[in-house]
Formats: sequence, C-alpha cells, structure tokens
Amino acid sequence: MNPFWSNIFRSSGYKQTLTYFLSTMPMFKKLDDRELGFLENIVHVRNYGTDEIVFNEGDIGSGMYSIRSGQVQIFNRDEQGQETEQAMLEAGDFFGEIALTASRPRCASARTTEPTVLIGLFRSDMLEAVRRHPAPAAKIMLGLNRVISDRLLQISVQLEKLKKQLTDNQKKQTDE
Amino acid sequence: MNSQSGMSRAQVAVLYLILTTSIASGIAIYSSASTVTALLKTATTGLFLPLLLSLIVSFLLDPAVQFFEGKKINRTLSIFIVYALMSSLIFLLLLIVGPPNWEGMINALKADFPRYISRAIEWLSSLLAVAQQHFPFITNYDLTERLRSASQSFFGLILMETPRSAIKIGSLLLLVPLFSFFFLRDSRHIMRSLISLTPNRYFEMVLDIYAHVSWQLSHFIRGRILEALIIGIVVWLGLSLTDIRYAPILAVIAGATNLVPYIGPLIGMIPGLVIALVDLGMGGQFWWILCVYILIAQIILDNFILIPILISKVSNLHPLWVILAIIMGGKLYGVMGMIIGVPIASIVNIIFIEIHQYRRTFNLYNRYFTNRGKLL
Repeated sequence: MNPFWSNIFRSSGYKQTLTYFLSTMPMFKKLDDRELGFLENIVHVRNYGTDEIVFNEGDIGSGMYSIRSGQVQIFNRDEQGQETEQAMLEAGDFFGEIALTASRPRCASARTTEPTVLIGLFRSDMLEAVRRHPAPAAKIMLGLNRVISDRLLQISVQLEKLKKQLTDNQKKQTDE
Repeated sequence: MNSQSGMSRAQVAVLYLILTTSIASGIAIYSSASTVTALLKTATTGLFLPLLLSLIVSFLLDPAVQFFEGKKINRTLSIFIVYALMSSLIFLLLLIVGPPNWEGMINALKADFPRYISRAIEWLSSLLAVAQQHFPFITNYDLTERLRSASQSFFGLILMETPRSAIKIGSLLLLVPLFSFFFLRDSRHIMRSLISLTPNRYFEMVLDIYAHVSWQLSHFIRGRILEALIIGIVVWLGLSLTDIRYAPILAVIAGATNLVPYIGPLIGMIPGLVIALVDLGMGGQFWWILCVYILIAQIILDNFILIPILISKVSNLHPLWVILAIIMGGKLYGVMGMIIGVPIASIVNIIFIEIHQYRRTFNLYNRYFTNRGKLL
C-alpha cells in the first residue's frame, strides 16, 4: 500500500476528532455521544509554542488542561529559583483538575517543552454549563470527582506505606 | 548628461513612473479612506438604538430561553418558543385590557399641552413676581418670555417628530426581534471566538473577567428594566385611582425616567404634577398623586424593595458621574441619550470595578512578573 496515494485517514477519521480524544480521557469515559458533543462546545483548544508557561505556581487557577499533542513539564521552583521537575506529561495526560472546582493557587508550574495543543476546560464555562445543562454537567463533575478521589486514594495508600516505614525505622533505631 | 546624473534615461523614466504612481495611489487611498469612513458613518447612523434595544431584549429573554434549553430543546427552537410565548402574551394582554387608545390620547395631549404649559408658566410668573419683590435685579431677565418660547419650540418639535418617530418605531418593531434573535442564538459563539484570540498567558484571566462582567451586566440590565417596569405599573395603578387623565402615558414617562438615578424620578413626576395641578387643582387628589410618585413609588418601592433585591451594590454610580453621563448622553443623542447615558456609564463602571477587583484579589503583578521584574 502506497501511503502517498491510499487514504490513510479512512480508518482513523473518527479517531482524529476532538470528540474521540475527549472520550479517551478517564474523567469523560462514561459520557455518551450527545454529552461528548456538549463537552466539545465548552472546552477551549489552545496552541502553545516551545517553552511557553501554561501557568505558574501560586497563580489562582481557573481550570484544567489535557494534552492533545506535545509535552508539558510540571515543576516547582524554590526560593533561589531552582527548578525541580515533578512530572513530564505526554499526549492524553491531563493536569490542573483541582482548579476546576475551586479557585485555589496552583501548586506547581507547567511549561511546554515542544509545540503543544492543550484542551482547556475552565470553571466559568463549567458553572455556566451547570446552569444551562445540569444533567451532562453533573456527569462531567462526577467523572472529575472520580479522578480526584482516585488520586486521593493513591496518596493515602502511599502515606500509609510511608508511615509504616517510619515506624519500622524508629523501631530499628530503638532496638539498636 | 547620463553620466552626470548617474542614471540612464530608462531609469529616470521608471523612477518618475514609480513616484507618480505612488503619489497618485496615496491620494486615491487617502480620499477613498475618507469617503469610506463617511460611508461607514452614514451606513451606521440609526443602527445604535436598534442594536442597543435588541441587546437589552436578548438579556431579558435569555433566562427564558435557558429554561427551555434545560428541557433538552435546542437553542434555536427554544428562542422561537420564547418568541411565540411573548407575542401571544402581548396579544392576550391587549385582548384583555383592550388596546390603550394611544393615538386618541396623544391627540388629546396635543390639544391640552399648550393649556398645561400656559398654566405652568402663569404659576411660575406669579412665583417670579414674588421673587422680584425680594430681588429686584431679576426683572432684567425676561424669564417668563424665555420659558414660553422654549416650550413653544419644544411643542413644535414634538408635533414634527411624531410621524417620523412612528416610522422609527415601525422599523424598530421589525429590527429588534431580528437582531435579538441572532444575539440570543450566537452571542456565546461570538464571545468565545473573540476570547480565543487572547494570548495564552492572559487567557485564563480574560475568561474569568469576562465571566464576572457578563454575570454582573446581565443582572444589572435585567434589574434595571424590571425596576422601571414595576415602577411604571405601580404609578399607573396609583394614578388610575384618581380622575387624572393620561395615566398610561404618565406611567410610561415615570418608568422610563426611572432608569436615570437621582434626577430621573424627579423629572418624571413633573408632567404628572403639572397635569394634576391644572386639571384637579390643589386638592386631596393632588396630594395622593404626589404621594404615589414620591412615597409609594420612590421611597417605599424603589429604595426599600426593588433596589436592594434587583440591583447589586456594585453598580452604584457616584452622583457626579450620573450628572456627567446625563450631560454627555444628551449632547450625543438628545433625550434618548439622557436616558440611556447613565445605564451605559454604569455598565462601564461595572467593567472597571470587576477588572480592578480581579487584579486585587489575584494580584496580577506577581502573576505575570517574577520577583526580579522579568516578564515571564
């Protein structure tokens, strides 16, 4: 098959749409087609260049981003301006979802490392959606809630593990 | 010669050609630009009012459209439903109440107006006579004559403008529903595409500020219109208890002038009081009418009930700004400008306050500049 002439888009036509991309996100997994179409109308597609700041630590956040293509680095900056990388996010990942429900300061900075397309979902649009289309908005909120609860669960498991390690270490020290 | 100038004949010709064409095209662009702006000006005159009115109508109808949208009806259809409901409601009201005889009322007013004016002038001149006893230098200014000529020219203006304004109202009845339909249907889309033009770094801020401002604005406009409507209805009811004529027209005046804070209600009650004085005399009915205007409509209803409920504190304008807005509005658009000047000033005020609030709470300086002052 000659890729220059054959229609390579035929099979993946649907997979290139924004709707399909949104349906692959964990928080939007349980939405039906109609609700996905609705979601498509309230998200914003933003194009970023290389090394562009998406948001800074301490900003008042107003929404979450998911990465359609490209790469985003999440990092913290200490007093001296020294940066520590927290995560490197790829296409399909998402970040900043806590800001969607409450206007809290961002707990890390985000920066693109290559030309990136981000899909933003923001609180003001979400609030309007809750007023205008309560049912799909509630479903989206539930999906978000699920993601945040999963994170919380993971963190509490990790905390439990660390606590156990700490007590083990203390025991060892007292034994010695 | 060629070697002296350093240019061949052909080069000189080309240079000449280029220079002349550039000058000619410059003149052409300049003149066409001025004609284009003139054309634009003539094309857009008279569009301001229908656009403004349809914006207001779309703000008013938006909650109803949203209600139907919440019932899983698509937006266009719900707008049509709201339109159908509104027109049938107006039709029903006209059927029940019977169309108020506007034309007859205006014709009667035309006949009565000079009488009211002359009585008002008589009363004023008696007042002046008293004043002249105390301040003799006033006699130099012929105030009564000046007032009389001013009122006559005003009356002539009204007579002339009536047929023209009838045509205007006809075009408004056609344009406003059309414009507001598109505003209702596409305003979100238009605003979204406008907002998406902002640079990435300021996008979240612009989106947040837009959400705040639009929320405040819709509340403010809805509140003001509802307030004017309720005041008008109350004045109508209060006046119909007396024998006063032209109660509906007086109620419309009271409602419309109520859009202008502080000064509007005072001016709105003058025609009612003059008519009451002339027709009914200084009796119990006059005092009741005064009571309706000041105590019931303004103090009890507006100050204690409507303003606290309908209009947020954010949109309060300083009295100085109110007066400035009235003067500037009057200069630009006449009486209409005087009425809509203050609401527009309040809208600008709301936008400024929201942006200021946002800057203060979210501390934009720290947000976009590092400690070293470098733009991030």
